[in-house]
Amino acid sequence: MTNTSKYDVVIVGSGISGAIVAYQLGLAGKKVLILESGPTVPADRSGYMETFYKANAKTPESPYPPATQGAVPSSANNPLGLPNPAGENIPRYTVLQVGAWQKKDQCYFDYPSQVEGIDGTSLNANFAFASSYERLGGGTTWHWLGTCLRLFPEDFKMKTLYGQGEDWPGGDAFYQSLVPFYETAAKEIGVSGDKAAMEKLYRQFYVNPEGIYGSDYNFPMPGIDQTLQDELYAGITDMTYEGNPVYVTPTPQGRNSRPDERRQCAGNTNCIPICPIQAKYDATVTLARAEQTDNVEIRYQHVACNIRLDDKQQVCGIDYLTYDQPNGIATGSGTAVAERYVLAAHAIETPKLLLMSNKNPGFENGVANSSDQVGRNLMDHVMYLGWGLAKDPIFPYRGPLSTSGIESLRDGAFRKDRSAYRIEIGNEGWQWAADDPGTTLADFVFGQNNSQLNGNSKNQQGEELRFNPQLPAFSKLFGKQLVNTLNGVYTRQLRLGYLIEQLPDPENRVQLSTTLKDNLGLPRPHVTYRLASDYERKAFVSAKELTTELFAKVGATEYTKDPGAPVFSGKPEELTATNFQYKDDKGVTHNFRFYGAGHIVGTYRMGDNKATSVLNSRQQSWDHDNLYMVGSGVFPTIATGNPTLTIAALAFQAAGHILEDLNS
Amino acid sequence: MDIMSTFVGLSSVLTGFAQDILAPRLDTTNIKNLYLQSWTENIAQETGDANLVNTILQQYAELQAAGKSDEEIGEQLMNGNNSSAFVLACQKLIFLWYMGAWPDVNAQPGTETGGVTTSSLLSAESYTSGLVWQVMQAHPMGDSNYRYGYWAEQPPALSDYTGN
Ligand SMILES: Cc1cc2nc3c(=O)[nH]c(=O)nc-3n(C[C@H](O)[C@H](O)[C@H](O)COP(=O)(O)OP(=O)(O)OC[C@H]3O[C@@H](n4cnc5c(N)ncnc54)[C@H](O)[C@@H]3O)c2cc1C
Ligand code: SF4
Repeated sequence: MTNTSKYDVVIVGSGISGAIVAYQLGLAGKKVLILESGPTVPADRSGYMETFYKANAKTPESPYPPATQGAVPSSANNPLGLPNPAGENIPRYTVLQVGAWQKKDQCYFDYPSQVEGIDGTSLNANFAFASSYERLGGGTTWHWLGTCLRLFPEDFKMKTLYGQGEDWPGGDAFYQSLVPFYETAAKEIGVSGDKAAMEKLYRQFYVNPEGIYGSDYNFPMPGIDQTLQDELYAGITDMTYEGNPVYVTPTPQGRNSRPDERRQCAGNTNCIPICPIQAKYDATVTLARAEQTDNVEIRYQHVACNIRLDDKQQVCGIDYLTYDQPNGIATGSGTAVAERYVLAAHAIETPKLLLMSNKNPGFENGVANSSDQVGRNLMDHVMYLGWGLAKDPIFPYRGPLSTSGIESLRDGAFRKDRSAYRIEIGNEGWQWAADDPGTTLADFVFGQNNSQLNGNSKNQQGEELRFNPQLPAFSKLFGKQLVNTLNGVYTRQLRLGYLIEQLPDPENRVQLSTTLKDNLGLPRPHVTYRLASDYERKAFVSAKELTTELFAKVGATEYTKDPGAPVFSGKPEELTATNFQYKDDKGVTHNFRFYGAGHIVGTYRMGDNKATSVLNSRQQSWDHDNLYMVGSGVFPTIATGNPTLTIAALAFQAAGHILEDLNS
Repeated sequence: MDIMSTFVGLSSVLTGFAQDILAPRLDTTNIKNLYLQSWTENIAQETGDANLVNTILQQYAELQAAGKSDEEIGEQLMNGNNSSAFVLACQKLIFLWYMGAWPDVNAQPGTETGGVTTSSLLSAESYTSGLVWQVMQAHPMGDSNYRYGYWAEQPPALSDYTGN
């Protein structure tokens, strides 16, 4: 066993949350040890780039180890060759596993079997969780998009204002306490942003009558240039939806608009899954800064697997296993010891670790779990995608993947009744929505119609969708006609993504699988995930309606495809992963598919009541004073913005609390 | 004419891209070699006809020698009297050039979608060499030589990308 008692703090996980805490403590002269389950940060990213280039399915996880596809020969049951998580030391959930959610030899998560005898609209249906994360040095920001929005004060008072969800502990006061840390976080990430645009937004929501920023504040870098597509939507000036104004806001984002320590964004249009030139911030930046303090040590390939408590119910060590090869045997074990402990393993692995730590007397349900809230209230922004073709070319697939959005509908009286959302304006054509450019290409070369551009398809408003009405259905093109047709399609592709706020639901939860293990013998997560209220489903209807209005407003033709009715019974491999139906108040039944936003939230929430939360508002365990947790698992609600700027702000705040404790 | 120039000529007719875009004078990636080899092997294997690729190349060479225009050659190859295996082999070559991936076409005529196509990339270079990125006046996702802010401007003309 390694003697590690020379450390002040042990941190589990080297993503943005763990790295920020380590950096701040290191700066203050505290000795920090980070246990990181994944491989070390490579000296350069060319190896990850190569893996990405070769991947058939270019999913967010595709560049990173362990391999997401092609790990075993492809077969009818496993066309992309997904690896068996039972043989991996650090398996993680990937978006390719969403479709394979019922296959235990391909999917890391264990899921309950589908409820019997339900119809398409049932609120009891089980679904696949639709978002993923990484387990490697630097964590999930390797493949984040970089959107850096603040949440609104209203987001912190959902229960008080709208009788939905939860308030964050302290509500307004907590929001105000976070504001300076938002500024620190923006600085750490190096956010490029347009202050005037944000102030317009903040004024709308009374965040502060003058806007939230003081006169001497500005973003670390000027806003990123807007795309030609953004200009199309920027033309919307006089639109309202349900009485609220609809307008476009340039997105503050963690990519360099100017050369600095990192390079200037060159528009490789690949921020998800990997920026080839590191113009986009990722947590390896903060991790390097942490190491430069000379007080922070990182041990890679160290998998935390158990938390020990002493007889005073304080944490007295974190056990880990080590390995050399991703599929090899464990090569060692040990216990990391310090004064204070911080869990930063993200919102699936952190609760899993707490639940696995079930050998301590009095805490048989897991460490920090006297409230029984560990692993519960798992949330994501469930996403609605709408897509279409602009009248004239707007040239997507050029520049960052999203440079603006509609933020003006993130709050309003409607929030009593249905979820709020922000709308991300996607710049990757129909890549996400319809698996392009391959789908459209195959359609026009082989005479198929999966894009709806080359057959007799109509959209949900009854408009004919054949791209060129002069051509027969199922045309097979070549030469100049192929060039002109493809060019006409690809240069006009639009995509909107709605990030719909999901309410906390205690039954949406991470537990330990009782049957499935990874290669180190650790239990895999058992995940129960439902959309169990009309609140979110009504927002899907709203998103669908608004998409149609927006496309009409900019003169675009809508191509959003009806995903078909869900399949809730039959063979396991045929069961719907993320499709559902909703019958609206006019009696119309809609088919929907939800997508994941990558925002994994809520599984070790903060609160002001020990009985109903895992952490107090200092992000400190109610049960064990010397244990802290950071990351989006602390959020009581998912709110209306992408989480990471808030994760970062909260990590800075938590680092301050830990320092306070260490120095007292 | 050697087989490679015939192949490039044929590819140009089918893809609608100029020969010197498909096979630039300074051809460091030399993707055409990989494509000719892969096309030849895959078509022989899939059709059981080891000669089909040659038949196609020969027909192209004859039409070309007869002084036909690209349009006429394309019409003759794709809409003439050739067998469906011949035409499908040409279509697969188009797909290969555009995506850098070998297609698996599951045709279901008469259905709403007409079937589905999946595909498998040949290599990292074939991904970045895909003509889809050129035909959209962009660049392969993850591999660009442009500079900051180019996305706020109109791209160069389509002909700059296709060479035609
Ligand atoms: C496709 C995608 C796009 C996204 N885009 C955005 C965006 O635009 N804006 C935004 O705000 N957010 C975005 N996100 C979310 C964002 O990536 C996450 O919120 C953020 O990275 C979480 O940081 P973290 O430090 O909490 O966790 P992570 O970065 O996941 O770090 C956790 C670390 O813990 C380690 N670990 C796990 N288990 C163990 C163990 N047992 N022992 C030791 N170490 C362990 C992991 O290896 C990892 O390094 C996106 C997510 C995805 C998936
Ligand atoms: S657009 Fe390209 S260069 Fe810019 S951040 Fe994204 S991947 Fe990096």
